[in-house]
Amino acid sequence: MTATPTANVTLTDRYVNSTLRSLPAHQRADIERELRASIADAVDGRVEAGGDPAEAERAVLVELGDPARLAARYADRPLHLIGPTLYLDYIRLVTALLVTVVPAVAGAVGFARILQDQTVGQVITGAMGTAATTGIHIVFWTTLLFAVIERTPSLRTGPARQWTPDSLPQPPTRKARRGTIIGATVALVLVTAFVLFSPVVSTETDADGDPIAILSPWLWDSGMVYVVLGLVAGGFGITVAKQYVRWSPSLALVGAAFGIGSATLLIWLAADDKLINPAFAAAAGWPAEVTEWIGIGLIVVAVLTVVQTVVETVAGFVARSWVTPDWHNMIHTIVDGVARR
Amino acid sequence: MADDELYALHQQELRRGTAVLACLLILQRPNYGYALLDQLGRSGFDIDANTLYPLLRRLEKQGLLTSDWNTEESRPRKFYRTSDQGVALADALSHDWDDLDSAIRALREES
Repeated sequence: MTATPTANVTLTDRYVNSTLRSLPAHQRADIERELRASIADAVDGRVEAGGDPAEAERAVLVELGDPARLAARYADRPLHLIGPTLYLDYIRLVTALLVTVVPAVAGAVGFARILQDQTVGQVITGAMGTAATTGIHIVFWTTLLFAVIERTPSLRTGPARQWTPDSLPQPPTRKARRGTIIGATVALVLVTAFVLFSPVVSTETDADGDPIAILSPWLWDSGMVYVVLGLVAGGFGITVAKQYVRWSPSLALVGAAFGIGSATLLIWLAADDKLINPAFAAAAGWPAEVTEWIGIGLIVVAVLTVVQTVVETVAGFVARSWVTPDWHNMIHTIVDGVARR
Repeated sequence: MADDELYALHQQELRRGTAVLACLLILQRPNYGYALLDQLGRSGFDIDANTLYPLLRRLEKQGLLTSDWNTEESRPRKFYRTSDQGVALADALSHDWDDLDSAIRALREES
């Protein structure tokens, strides 16, 4: 009963054909017959009320609306990509993947490029480019997966995961706060003491019996050591401030800039072999690889710090509060926060 | 949002689902799509043609309506009729409607 493309094809023919195209073959004949009768009845109704036949046909079709929408209603197909049943799971999964996989991949690429002695610009563009590509892939494939599940009833038969109050976030305890401050203080004292005593206390001595510092004398000659100590003290201050000062966007950004700045400085010092005193390595009889591996270890720590700082800042902005910097908590905060927008 | 917009929004929410009951009640006497649309409109059920026609097929698929093609007249029409199961459902839903009505009445008297 399909109309042949001749001059006699009416608007109704085109409308009916357009509706039937996306319907299962076994329904088409019956729906076509009924739809044509309904349209004809409606046109007659309008003409009897004193309308022009051509205008009446047009008006009836306008009232029936987009044939794709009508066909979707006949076929009981969803007119959304991902419906309310799946939406929260979808948005949580996408966010969880984005905040875990993207920083990890970007960090790995950045680290690889640092090892290849690429410039800062190349390291950053490499990491950023990989982050963008990875992010687009994650969003695309997850969306596709959920759109397919939405359209496949047999995949949706499993009961929805029951929410329990156990998943409610817990406020930080006073004990945890004190633990953080004690840990930060111990770290501050140890690092500062190690740096300050390094020129005078050492396991190795030179011919005159004077100690050979483990840290490169260049740090003192250039004054870099004071920058390092300043950053260490600043980092301590920020950690303590987070326990007592309310979260604010500016403070969060200062904290993030501080963390990333410190890590970048550490990467530069380690990659340029500016940290370990070559004389010390020689006196201690270290093979060349040891200095190299210490440098790589420090770069790994620095890259992880950057990744953690970025994720912590994002989680902070999502939750509008400080977040405990443990991965499970940060990811949970972001995933839950994004699902609410 | 203007007041009448707000009213239209909540009115639509309140009336959602009443179209099914109205169809099941009207179709206890067989009728075809366009005539049913017309009758629903005259009874104050504002349902669009593009919602009603697919709805009739869904109700038929659920066993609440049966259908027959009437080819006696010049224009063949598909006549729907409420099935026994549909009549039973309409009775149950009408009961719910009455319960709701008395519950709302009681609330209005209290206030």
